[in-house]
Amino acid sequence: MARKLEVTGLSKRFDQLEALRGIDVAVERGEFISVVGPSGCGKTTFLRIVAGLEPATSGTVLLDGRALGKPGGDRGFVFQNDSLLPWRTVLGNAMIGPEVAGSIGPKERQRTLDLLKLVGLGGFENYYPRQLSGGMRQRVNLARALAIDPDILLMDEPFASLDAQTREIMQTELLRIWEQGRKTVLFVTHQIDEAVFLSDRVLVFARRPGRLQESVEITLPRPRSLELKRTPEFVAYVDRIWKLIEDDVRTAVIHEHV
Amino acid sequence: MWQRVGNSYLPGTLSVIGGLTLWELVSRLLVANALFLAAPTQIVEAIYTLTLDGQMGRHVAVSSAEFALGYVIASLLGIAVGFGMASSATFKQAMQPWISGLYATPTIALAPLFILWLGIGIWSKVLVVIFLVLFPVAINTEAGLRTTSDRLIEMLKSFGATPQQIFFKVSLPSALPFILAGLKLGIGRGLIGVVVAELFGSRAGLGRLISQSADAFNMPELFAGVIVLAVAGIAMTAGFSYVERKLVPWTKD
Repeated sequence: MARKLEVTGLSKRFDQLEALRGIDVAVERGEFISVVGPSGCGKTTFLRIVAGLEPATSGTVLLDGRALGKPGGDRGFVFQNDSLLPWRTVLGNAMIGPEVAGSIGPKERQRTLDLLKLVGLGGFENYYPRQLSGGMRQRVNLARALAIDPDILLMDEPFASLDAQTREIMQTELLRIWEQGRKTVLFVTHQIDEAVFLSDRVLVFARRPGRLQESVEITLPRPRSLELKRTPEFVAYVDRIWKLIEDDVRTAVIHEHV
Repeated sequence: MWQRVGNSYLPGTLSVIGGLTLWELVSRLLVANALFLAAPTQIVEAIYTLTLDGQMGRHVAVSSAEFALGYVIASLLGIAVGFGMASSATFKQAMQPWISGLYATPTIALAPLFILWLGIGIWSKVLVVIFLVLFPVAINTEAGLRTTSDRLIEMLKSFGATPQQIFFKVSLPSALPFILAGLKLGIGRGLIGVVVAELFGSRAGLGRLISQSADAFNMPELFAGVIVLAVAGIAMTAGFSYVERKLVPWTKD
């Protein structure tokens, strides 16, 4: 299989703070990769650099062998906060990507409508964000990123602001949608069980400086349903990853609360 | 909560009717001196007579023209200045002391000077209105553009949007509620400007009607001028609120 995304020697400094040190990651086409780690491990910075929203201090990021720079239509970003435009309808929001690219023909419109249906928002095209629940807004957020038909989907803790039940539903929904197209996904989360449930591989980051500690292959069968979360295999994965970051999380918690 | 009986207009209506009745009684029985206070019925009568003989129409036409000219010029200029300040830090730094200073200054006090420069015709009043309306519009436009959510800008950037696309698709729509609020603020200020400037010296206008009625101790006509102004102010502000609800419905939740 061809390498979809290849990150080599990626480092990032914010003045005194070394946010990321020497990250090497290779992602295969169609892989679902999660990044977990304690707060301050640079996982979101890593995602933002891949997205082109943040410059790297050193190192390279290749997508299909091309060096990545400024943001573009080849990467779809799903934000932690839905970032919907309140003055636009669901369809208007989902169409923003094609619009920026200058292609808003009937073909793109139909494609976006199909995507809205796929994320479970059929019939809500003309609703405004304020009329939607948090879960529905995140569905628009996802459809908006998919509407540009990106080569890779970058997701920054997209379910973090949802309540526990909605989050679980959205996880299965995301897998259902992902099974349809099998896009390459880079998914940042602080929830270990979410990462294990969704991913083919979980990248465990450590903090100070942010670095890749371990890459854990998740060989649980697909398609996956929520029952999987109660199997011993699943729990074993969560345990293992938790043990990897436990000490780090403890120091992070102490640092944040002092 | 007894003061909120559903969405009833009843308490408000009763209060207005009660107030007007009290006013009528006080002016007829207690003050009983046409030199100091006019009763509501006398005011209505004065408005009616002034309208019939064409005086009211002339005054309203002059004041309206002064207000409209000044308001439109100030709005366009204010929005332009606000845009300029939001897009260039140097321009903002150069303008800031003037804008803040003149916004806080009661520029209405300059009306006599403007009349000296431009005469007692409509242009001195137009200039007063411009001075009063320009600053809130400019300040609000700048604030609206400046406070555009970074998250929304970043979202658009993630799709590779150009600075122009970010401006038209995010900054401008999110500044719109602020711009409209500035324009709404300008209505009241502009009306004050028209009337006060007319008081200082004019040939016609509602301010002129008020000052000449005061000179002649004609209380019904004085109040007629005030009431027409009040109604104009209320009507324009209400109309503006309607436009706001239509144009920027997302701010009204």
